[in-house]
Amino acid sequence: MRIGVFVCQCGTNIAGTVATDKVAEAALAMRDVLHAETLQYTCSDPGQRAIIDAVQKKGLTRVVIAACSPRMHETTFRRTIGQAGMNAYMMEMVNIREHCSWIHSDIDTATDKAIDLVQKGVARVRRQVPLYSTTVPVTRRVLVIGGGVAGIQAALDIADSGLPVTLVERGPTIGGNMARLDKTFPTLDCSSCILTPRMVEAKQHENISLMVNTEIEQVRGYIGNFEVDVRKKATCVIEDKCTGCMICQEKCPGKAPDEFNAGVGQSKAISIPFPQAVPLVAALRKEHCRRFIKGKCGVCKKVCPADAVDYEQEDEITTEMFGAVVVATGYELYDWREAYPDYGGGQYPDVVTSLQYERMLSASGPTAGHVQRPSDGAEPKQVVFVSCVGSRDESVGRPLCCSVGCMYIAKQAILTKEHIPDSQSYVFYIDIRATGKGYEEFTRRAQKEFGAIYLRGRVGKIYPSNGQLVVMGTDTLSGGPVEIEADLVVLATGFAAARGAGELARKLNISYDQYEFLSESHPKLRPVETTTGGIFLAGACQAPKDIPDSVAQAGAAAAKVIGLLSRGEIETSPMVAAVDQLRCIGCFKCRDVCSYNAIEALELRDGRQVAKVIDSLCQGCGVCNVACPPSVVSLKGYTDNQLIAETMELLR
Amino acid sequence: MAELKLIGFLCNWCSYAGADMAGMARMKQPGELRIIRLPCTGRVNPLLILKAFQQGADGVLVSGCHPGDCHYNEGNYYARRRLELLSRMLPAFGIEPERFHFTWVSASEGARWADVVTEFTGKIEAMGKA
Amino acid sequence: MSDIVSIIQRVLGDVDLVLGWTATGAGGVAAPARFQTAAEAERAVFNATCVHNLAVHLPRLKDQTVGIVAKGCDSRSVAQLIQEREIDRDRVKVIGVRGLGGSIDVRKIWRFHGYGVPVDARTDSLFIDGKEVDRQEFLRQKCLGCRDMDPVIYDELFEASGSSITGIADAATVETALSETGLGTSLTAAEAMSAAGEDESRPLGELFAKMNSAERRLFWREQYSRCIRCYACREACPMCFCRDVCIMQTTDPHWTGAGVDAGEAEMMQLIRVNHLAGRCTGCGECERACPVGIPLMLLMNKQNQVIEELFGYRAGTDLEARPPLLTFDIKGDSRSEK
Repeated sequence: MRIGVFVCQCGTNIAGTVATDKVAEAALAMRDVLHAETLQYTCSDPGQRAIIDAVQKKGLTRVVIAACSPRMHETTFRRTIGQAGMNAYMMEMVNIREHCSWIHSDIDTATDKAIDLVQKGVARVRRQVPLYSTTVPVTRRVLVIGGGVAGIQAALDIADSGLPVTLVERGPTIGGNMARLDKTFPTLDCSSCILTPRMVEAKQHENISLMVNTEIEQVRGYIGNFEVDVRKKATCVIEDKCTGCMICQEKCPGKAPDEFNAGVGQSKAISIPFPQAVPLVAALRKEHCRRFIKGKCGVCKKVCPADAVDYEQEDEITTEMFGAVVVATGYELYDWREAYPDYGGGQYPDVVTSLQYERMLSASGPTAGHVQRPSDGAEPKQVVFVSCVGSRDESVGRPLCCSVGCMYIAKQAILTKEHIPDSQSYVFYIDIRATGKGYEEFTRRAQKEFGAIYLRGRVGKIYPSNGQLVVMGTDTLSGGPVEIEADLVVLATGFAAARGAGELARKLNISYDQYEFLSESHPKLRPVETTTGGIFLAGACQAPKDIPDSVAQAGAAAAKVIGLLSRGEIETSPMVAAVDQLRCIGCFKCRDVCSYNAIEALELRDGRQVAKVIDSLCQGCGVCNVACPPSVVSLKGYTDNQLIAETMELLR
Repeated sequence: MAELKLIGFLCNWCSYAGADMAGMARMKQPGELRIIRLPCTGRVNPLLILKAFQQGADGVLVSGCHPGDCHYNEGNYYARRRLELLSRMLPAFGIEPERFHFTWVSASEGARWADVVTEFTGKIEAMGKA
Repeated sequence: MSDIVSIIQRVLGDVDLVLGWTATGAGGVAAPARFQTAAEAERAVFNATCVHNLAVHLPRLKDQTVGIVAKGCDSRSVAQLIQEREIDRDRVKVIGVRGLGGSIDVRKIWRFHGYGVPVDARTDSLFIDGKEVDRQEFLRQKCLGCRDMDPVIYDELFEASGSSITGIADAATVETALSETGLGTSLTAAEAMSAAGEDESRPLGELFAKMNSAERRLFWREQYSRCIRCYACREACPMCFCRDVCIMQTTDPHWTGAGVDAGEAEMMQLIRVNHLAGRCTGCGECERACPVGIPLMLLMNKQNQVIEELFGYRAGTDLEARPPLLTFDIKGDSRSEK
């Protein structure tokens, strides 16, 4: 065994706290180590060349690299020693940067620890054997979950490359939150005018199959081959027959909340969310339908000229294979009511959310673009915007920034002035965050051209008085309390993850944060990947973001998917479980605990049943290894003996 | 007094990454803990922890993904059962259960990781060598 | 009601062999035997010295159909083996024993009355050398507070009430029987006892409960230092069926070294405890088999208790149950999470 140890200085990142020359010197005394050197930047081209040189000149068979986190550069260095002619897995990285030099200030402590870690790495690599990956064919079809602007963009980009896409949307129409917006900042483009053509394009695209009223039931499989059960919920409307004439909606006697309009106005039990919906198909909500609540009524079926109503319709579950998944489940507004009793907790009709206000501003909204106070229908003259409701507020457990509030307040203040020229807008803000292209100029325009008065401070209380609302806040710039009598208060409510995002993430086996925003694989270098191969993120499901960012991320996710599926087959990790079949006792506890159905029974010629790992299904978690009493199911790269050796080495 | 020997078994996807994040944020931590990387806490054989104690470890820390966040769906659920049983059995083996700690630290909880290490090291320091 | 001989003879009509007992042990106490013919079965007995858990043989007899006489406790091992798919329910006929009233610790008898003294151990009374003694005093530790008087599974039921050693009672027959089995009687009672290191009153459990961690560590070091690494604990255990690939006797993986010392012995027992988690039925055979008297059941009992507390599970009581460590409960698994 000929082991080489390379100790990275990472400039001063490591060498600043770890005496790297001492570590290299100590390494030379370790068993089977016959080469040790320090390198200034091991991951750089000269660094990698030094490793290749040493391997080739000294005939090294194993390599330990003490540097940064293996999560950072394991792949890099595997490639390096592969180039040196070694098996890529005969290399072990030990982390003396994130886990050592960066967290200690005392040189002796850090150096001792680094030596221990190298010792551990040597013990481990001594027990490493060459590993070889295999390839599996991929399914060249893509699932996009969520039909908002990000999902639509991703679906179109992928479909344009020739890959078939299934776009699944939970609601009755695609379009997402963007379809509810009146105008977009900072250009004041009409939101519908730019989105609806994309919606139609998605529907008509030969490579896109659109499924609305559909949710993800279960996901099995792995990168390249996901087996997905989707549930198409019963809407009592036969999609292929419905012509979107809306006669049923007109005649329906059952009232229902208008979700598309954020609760402004009312809808019917059978309805089409808005006239530009895609697909333009009605859906019946049983919980509001008289037939299902009271047992009688049947008006919609009677009036439907297309005979599209079917009360007996049931949920349908279908299973399809996909090679990759893009998650674009978006966001919903944070439900502010419980957390903000001082703002009325939802009791005052004239305190509305930004999305409700957006619908009031919209020409296609329930008020046809006439801004009216919900309480009496009067046109408000004094409009107060309160920023950061459920954002940047530790006191309600929401420290995150919604990233768009500052901008849409400016937009809504401008639109208010346009709609009601004799109105006055006030904006309570913490900071104005306007970092995008043209954003800063836009917020300035709201103030300079449209006369919005910006007050830097939080609002403490809102209460009704004489048919108006008194907004009590502070102006921290002038230093005093402020009271404004408002006709309408608009709360810039923050972003929350879409309802059920965490549950979906669990089905997909991807990570999410405490707010149920889905986690990217690396915040800098893998922003659209998840920790599960083959699953990508687009849009606000990952974190609050605006439309251009969502669209850009969707395009990036699409590029990743196209890249992944362009190969036809993918390499699987060789660090999977393996069974020593001669020693297997056939108890199948491994199969009992396997989450991936990756273990099957194999009958040997002597009739004994033994376990066999299906490499392409095994994900390498090692749960089986622990469940196996004689430990003959062994996780390659993390064998018992490797872990025992590491442990023993650290306790010598 | 000889230096304390503390071993941490960390899953690659959450806690190891969380420890990386603590490092990236330069969060200072006590220097006794040595980390062993595993793919998943489901790979942590309770025997490994017992072996560590037998070989003179003064404390053993296991950390994985929060329940529901396991990279492998279920690994940490198996670990939770195995390690809960282990921690309840330690007294019978003659090992102070306080010397063993298992917890969840996600990839984004760098600060929490630093807290876990600091608290755990402090606790073992107070207890002294095993 | 049938006697044990006729039940075994009847069961032999369906199976290749039946596991039971003959009275060929020292002093006429029971010794395990296998019966293949009705004639052989004539020698079968059942009494309160039938302490052995015969289920240990089942994994080794997988290619045969087997009948087995099983006390309540033994039946749990059979059930657990079936649950683990180690044996096939269809290939085993269980002759369950009911109404035994606990079995007798013959070592205790030998200690006070001499090794090889004739013993007649019935379900309700105990005669040593022809004289009746207080049966309760000589009950096995594990039988006190037994929760498994009745078998968990059975195909035939044997009512043990009133049964005693039948057939062989006189010392000469015992001598002959012993010489046939090749077991000598040269061991004196004192030797037998000192080898077993058994303490008559066994206050160990209570004592152990009071110890702190450091004391327990010393306690175990002292106990394990007697281990001669004979693997009797493993061999006597019905659930230890890894056989030739036992993790204690390999370097791949290298959990234990080859040495005979307290450290290795400790690791061996930690492995046993770990491997028997959720599987040990508490039959106590490991401890009974240990020639140096290491109180192994202290750990096993503790673990069984913890598992029952944590998961509400007792091994070998439910053929359909999912063993607790091969599953999980997302919400129900309680622990102080932090």
